[in-house]
Amino acid sequence: MKDQVSALVDEELSLEDAEYLYTAIRSSETLSDSWTTYHLIGDCMRGSPIFKADLTDRIMQQLEQEPVVLAPKAKKAAYKTPTLWSVAASVAAVMFVGWMVLQQQVQTHGESAPAEIAQNVASEYLLAHQSMAPSNSAYYIQPASYSESDK
Amino acid sequence: MKRGLLGFLLVSHVALATAAGEATGDPWMVLQKAAQAARELSYQGVFVYQSGTGSRSVQITHMNYGQGEYARIVVLDGTPREVLSQGRDVVIFSPRNEKVVIEKRRGQNMFPAVLPSNLDAIKTSYDVKFGGLERIGGRDGQMVILSPKDKFRYTYKFWADREYGLLLKSMSTNERNEPMEQFAFNQLTLMNSQKMDWFQPNVSPEKQYVMEESGTGRSEPVSTITWSVDQLPSGYRKVDEITRLVPGKPGPVTQIVYSDGLASVSLFIEPLLKGAAPKVGHSAFGATHFYANVLEGHQVVVVGEVPEATVTQIANTIHFKK
Repeated sequence: MKDQVSALVDEELSLEDAEYLYTAIRSSETLSDSWTTYHLIGDCMRGSPIFKADLTDRIMQQLEQEPVVLAPKAKKAAYKTPTLWSVAASVAAVMFVGWMVLQQQVQTHGESAPAEIAQNVASEYLLAHQSMAPSNSAYYIQPASYSESDK
Repeated sequence: MKRGLLGFLLVSHVALATAAGEATGDPWMVLQKAAQAARELSYQGVFVYQSGTGSRSVQITHMNYGQGEYARIVVLDGTPREVLSQGRDVVIFSPRNEKVVIEKRRGQNMFPAVLPSNLDAIKTSYDVKFGGLERIGGRDGQMVILSPKDKFRYTYKFWADREYGLLLKSMSTNERNEPMEQFAFNQLTLMNSQKMDWFQPNVSPEKQYVMEESGTGRSEPVSTITWSVDQLPSGYRKVDEITRLVPGKPGPVTQIVYSDGLASVSLFIEPLLKGAAPKVGHSAFGATHFYANVLEGHQVVVVGEVPEATVTQIANTIHFKK
């Protein structure tokens, strides 16, 4: 059935011949989804002007219009945490954050010590390089961001 | 054009066959033929790509019946990535979590079409010679070796099918003769059918398809300071320049791409923001070398599938004009 939907999108199948298909698409949610998907891909491959920069905005708009599901989550087995514990945790958190900030300050002060290139920073540049280089098969097969996450 | 090429292939095949296994003629011609065959023949096969410790099997279908090039590439191992190309237009489908991201690109040279149609640029930087005969994926491959004339590029070995001319395998090695990147066909057949039913992505209807986020596009350059690379390694020339957003970077970054016809290097320059930790140093990842440096308040990063000497020289000879 999906093949036929695809054929219809590609105009290999005329609408007259596929009246039953059209009805089927309208009745089935999955098929209707594939219908839009095939159109999206087709438009994209033909370089339709619809898919320009504002697409993200339109997606975001649609997302905002979508209803928010407010179903309550199943409550976990409730047990009482002593207030003291949460205070202690807050203090620990503050101390930890403070320590982190201190560490960072120490690092930025020591400007003479060269920071080595972290792998995650390198992968951003590598991906940018791969996508632009005139001969770079790696981008199609195993782009930098994926090889990082595979490790 | 296609007929002409086929005739040419047949004649040269006979010529090669009569030489009883000895490679004769001009090795540049073999490479020229390989570049042409990869674009003009219709073929289907599976090749393995290896870089560093990773490897991926890739299925390629390429068709050209005089109406332009159509290709579909499917990555068979790991993340199921899919690439469809028509002429210079390339569309990449890559699943990320619950979505499939669609990316549009300009065409790049991709195995087996890694050689540019015009070899003149390569000829100035590499020496060529024949290697031995080797059997690859059930076919006979004639090895052609491109040795760099200086330390700024890797050695490339190509195995061209003796019958079709198409590349069966390619490999780059560093100065210590360690393999950097390799592509090799496991199986390769020419296609007889002109059916286009294979030219469509494998769509999963339960997934959401979205276009890639804009942001990698070109924008206005922000820095007014001009600069130049005083000692660009010989043979490399600028092939592209854009100002782009790099993920994780607040401001736009200038990227310049240099190529010698086979190898390519990117140079990134961005103003060093206050509070940002400067990156300095060298690192390597598979065939790729990185070199980062800070010059006159700018973060400079050079990345490429080239030896360390190339990235270091580019990064260290940038000259800012005030």
